[in-house]
Amino acid sequence: MFEYFYNEIFRKTIIGFGTLFNDITVKQEDSTIKVPLAYGPTQKFLARLEESPDLNKRTSLTLPRMSFEFTGLQYDSSRKVTTTQQFTVKDKTTGKNTNKAYMPVPYSMQFELSIMTKLNDNALQIVEQILPYFQPQYNLTVNYFHQ
Amino acid sequence: MVLNPYFQQGSKSEQNLVQSLINEQLKIYGVDVHFMPRKYVSSDSVLREVSASSFEDAYPIEAYIDNFDGYGDNPTLLSKFGIEQTNEVTLIISKERFENYISPLMKNESNIKLSTRLKEGDLIYFPFGDRLFEIKYVEHEKPFYMLKNTYVYELRCELFRYEDEVIDTGVDEIDDTLEASEGVDGEDYVIGVTQKLTLVGNAEQASAVTTQVHGGIQFVTVTNRGNGYTHAPRVAISSAPAGGVTGIATAYLLGGIVVCAGSAQPNSNKSVVQEVNLVNPGSGYTTGPDMQFYGGGGTGLAVTSYMANGTIGIVTVTGGGSGYTTSPNITFTGLSTVSAAATAVVSTAGTISAIHITNAGAGYTTPPTISIAAPTGTSSGTFAFNEIVTGGTSGATARVRTWNSVTNEIEISNVDGTFSREETLTGSTSGASRVVRLIDLTNYDDGFGDNDVFETEGDDILDFSEGNPFGTP
Repeated sequence: MFEYFYNEIFRKTIIGFGTLFNDITVKQEDSTIKVPLAYGPTQKFLARLEESPDLNKRTSLTLPRMSFEFTGLQYDSSRKVTTTQQFTVKDKTTGKNTNKAYMPVPYSMQFELSIMTKLNDNALQIVEQILPYFQPQYNLTVNYFHQ
Repeated sequence: MVLNPYFQQGSKSEQNLVQSLINEQLKIYGVDVHFMPRKYVSSDSVLREVSASSFEDAYPIEAYIDNFDGYGDNPTLLSKFGIEQTNEVTLIISKERFENYISPLMKNESNIKLSTRLKEGDLIYFPFGDRLFEIKYVEHEKPFYMLKNTYVYELRCELFRYEDEVIDTGVDEIDDTLEASEGVDGEDYVIGVTQKLTLVGNAEQASAVTTQVHGGIQFVTVTNRGNGYTHAPRVAISSAPAGGVTGIATAYLLGGIVVCAGSAQPNSNKSVVQEVNLVNPGSGYTTGPDMQFYGGGGTGLAVTSYMANGTIGIVTVTGGGSGYTTSPNITFTGLSTVSAAATAVVSTAGTISAIHITNAGAGYTTPPTISIAAPTGTSSGTFAFNEIVTGGTSGATARVRTWNSVTNEIEISNVDGTFSREETLTGSTSGASRVVRLIDLTNYDDGFGDNDVFETEGDDILDFSEGNPFGTP
């Protein structure tokens, strides 16, 4: 019944989420820091290899840092339409053919964004750069399929 | 009086003896560490925090390592913020030695706040492992009033969490803690966030030669810029008559502005054609040849080409030079009725990769001499680690973390201001002076941040221009 397919939908959504926060900077007395951002879960051996290549880590951890994580999935019945409904769009490559698709199944992905700073002021700067864009939602178009 | 008056519970001489014995023991069994007092550069009185600190002094002093059996069982934690090193160390330092030797030296230093004792927030450079520890707590009553006095400070220290503090003590073994070391795949491993600039290595003037032909395409004028181009269309030119050479041309796009003819829009990825330049004017034409355009995703482009006798031929770059940040002026010297004009194409490596002809001139009887302007600014010298570099135009300052004289890349931290291309970067102590060629906007850090990965991967799948025409929910 189930055949193999994989369109990297979750991966692309993770990238989309990360892109929103990858260009945040904090300014201090005499320096400007672009806040490093990474996807939280990682393999420990890889993190150890990249962050302490000579085993001898001279400082604890550098700050500020941001990290985010895909924490859960929830079925969203309020967005669900009947499974028999279809929609048709023009094929962008040829401009002539049309592609037909059934309605997708609506799930909400939950993300958690964490911020770690040394100073209160840095955290406030970061949060202030993020919150105004979410009123309460921010819309972003992600092309899940090749066009 | 309730104490036995026939015994002295700690006379001054007894106290001095104990202190001397402790000092001696510390000198025998201790290790040499460096005490680095924090300088409070600026602070926020509302949020009650020190927003900028520097560590500019280092005083060597002997300390006994209380946790002689190591840092503990779990010195490395993997959290959502990456690898965190949680080493802790407890050090014992003689009170008398500190007060007699370090306090007087610190007393007249600015921004120290308090020179009479060791303070929480100060750093200890620990030579084993080249580590920086931050003093988290100073215990001054342990052992508890032996002979009615205290003799040592017990310092409970944790590995320092670095942000952008200036560490410039003048002691190489300390300052180089922030110097780059070899990381994964031979890349530099640098502690903290840095920015990379590519500077001009050796500035060399480029050179080129050309020929003189009859019946070449003199120039091409765009009569309709067309619209909707996402990339430059290919140019096809009518073949030259027998014995001639067919010309070659290339189109340049113009985007991001509104033009009268065409549909280039601000913030749109669609463009119009700005101009069509000649790569080779060809030869043997009797009139301006027809031109057709293919690809590019747009439509409507129309041009007219003109033929002339005694034009220049193909321009060959004989020496690409180096150190170019912008397209240099090109001048043609020779007898003609219409002088030739051309534009140089600067490669990402800073060399002249090609010369595109905007006007092939007319009336030349011999090939003109081409001179390409030399790169602007002078570039020489070697930048020193931790020195302050200043941008000549922007006035921005930063500290040098690494300088690679092979790739001409400089990694800088504590960036104050915004550096701009083509300005001269000057080192404060080395006197090195080089022109900024490229500015890398991605940040480099100690193996954690993936900002540039998200940026590049996001470019392939995200469409910020698309929106629902019926409104957003």
